[in-house]
Amino acid sequence: MNTTAFTGIRAWLVQRVSAVAILAFLVFALASFWLRAPAGYAEWRSRFENPALQVATLAFSAALLAHVWVGLRDVLLDYARPAALRRFLLGALAAVLVGLAVWTLAIVLPLAA
Amino acid sequence: MTSAASRMPDPKMRLSIFRFDPERDAQPRMQDYEIEPGATHHMLLDVLLAVKAQDSTLSFRRSCREGVCGSDAMNINGRNGLACITPVRTLRSPVTVRPLPGFPVIRDLVVDMTRFFAQYHSVTPWLVNPEPPPEKERLQSPAERERLNGAYECILCACCSSQCPSYWWNPDRFVGPAGLIQAYRFIFDSRDRATEARLDDLDDAYRLFRCRTIMNCAEVCPKGLEPVSAIERIRLKIARAGGDDGALHTHPPIVPR
Repeated sequence: MNTTAFTGIRAWLVQRVSAVAILAFLVFALASFWLRAPAGYAEWRSRFENPALQVATLAFSAALLAHVWVGLRDVLLDYARPAALRRFLLGALAAVLVGLAVWTLAIVLPLAA
Repeated sequence: MTSAASRMPDPKMRLSIFRFDPERDAQPRMQDYEIEPGATHHMLLDVLLAVKAQDSTLSFRRSCREGVCGSDAMNINGRNGLACITPVRTLRSPVTVRPLPGFPVIRDLVVDMTRFFAQYHSVTPWLVNPEPPPEKERLQSPAERERLNGAYECILCACCSSQCPSYWWNPDRFVGPAGLIQAYRFIFDSRDRATEARLDDLDDAYRLFRCRTIMNCAEVCPKGLEPVSAIERIRLKIARAGGDDGALHTHPPIVPR
C-alpha cells in the first residue's frame, strides 16, 4: 500500500474539501426528504432517475470515501504498531473502501441505464 | 530555614516527586517530601532546591531560574511548565512533579532531549541565503520583522512537544510543535531564500501533517506562544492559500496549578 501517493498537503486539502461536499449533500438530502418525503419505493426510485441526483450521489460517495481514507489513515499512522500491522490495516482499509466504491457504482449506474 | 507560617495557611508543603536511578532502580517510583517553605521560596524551583538540600540524590536541570533558559521544564500537577516561573502559592498540594512526558528518562526529572534537538536541527534552523551579504546587514521592513514575533521568543524548553500526543506517537518522524514554530520562523523570514525547499521538506505524511490541532502546545507554552498557529500558517503557505498575516498569535502564559 503506497501511503505517500495521497499525502501531505493534498490529503489535507482533500479532507477539507470533501468535508464541505459531504455537509452540502447531507443538508440537501435531509432537507429534501423532510420537505417532500417519498411516498413509497416507486417515488423514491423515480426521484433517483434524475441524472443530477445520480451525479450528486456519486460525488457525495467519492467525497465520503476519500474523507474516510484520509481520516482513518491518520489514525492508523498514529496508533497502529508495528509497521507490518499498520501496512496490513491500511491495505484492509483500502480494500474495504474500494469495495464500497464498486458497490456504490453497482447501485447508481443501473439507475442511469 | 525560616518559618513562613504567618503567610502560609499550611506551613508544610507536600510534594510527590518522580524518582528513577537507572543504576539502582528496576522501576521508577514516586517519593514524598515535606518542605517548610521559606520566605524566599516563591517559585517551585526554589522549593525543589530546598528538597535537594534535604536529599542530594534528587536530580533535575536548572540554570537561569527566570524562565529564559528553559532547562527546568517538567510536568507539574499534570501540566508541563518551567519550575522557576511556577508560583508556589497557587499550586495544589501535594504537588506532583514528573519528568517531561514522552521523553526517555535519564534520571529523576532529567530527560534525554537528543531526539527533540534532532527534530529541531532537521528544519535547518538558520538563515539560508546564498546572495553575497551587503556591507552592513540584510535589512527588513518593520512589517517583515513583525512576522517573526510570536515565533522567535521560543526558548526550546520542550514543554510543547512533550505535551503533544502526535509527538508521543511519532517522535522520530513528526517534527513536533517546537521544531515547527522554528520552521515557521525561517520560512517567513524575508531574508531567507530557501522557502520552497523548506516547504517541500515538510510536505509529507509525517513531518508537519501529523499535527491534529490538539493545541496542547499553545496551552502549555511558558512563553504564551502558539505553535499550532505557526503550523496552520505553514499549511496554508504550502497550499498557496496565504498564511502571511503579520505576527503569530500569543496569549498570557497559563502556569501549572
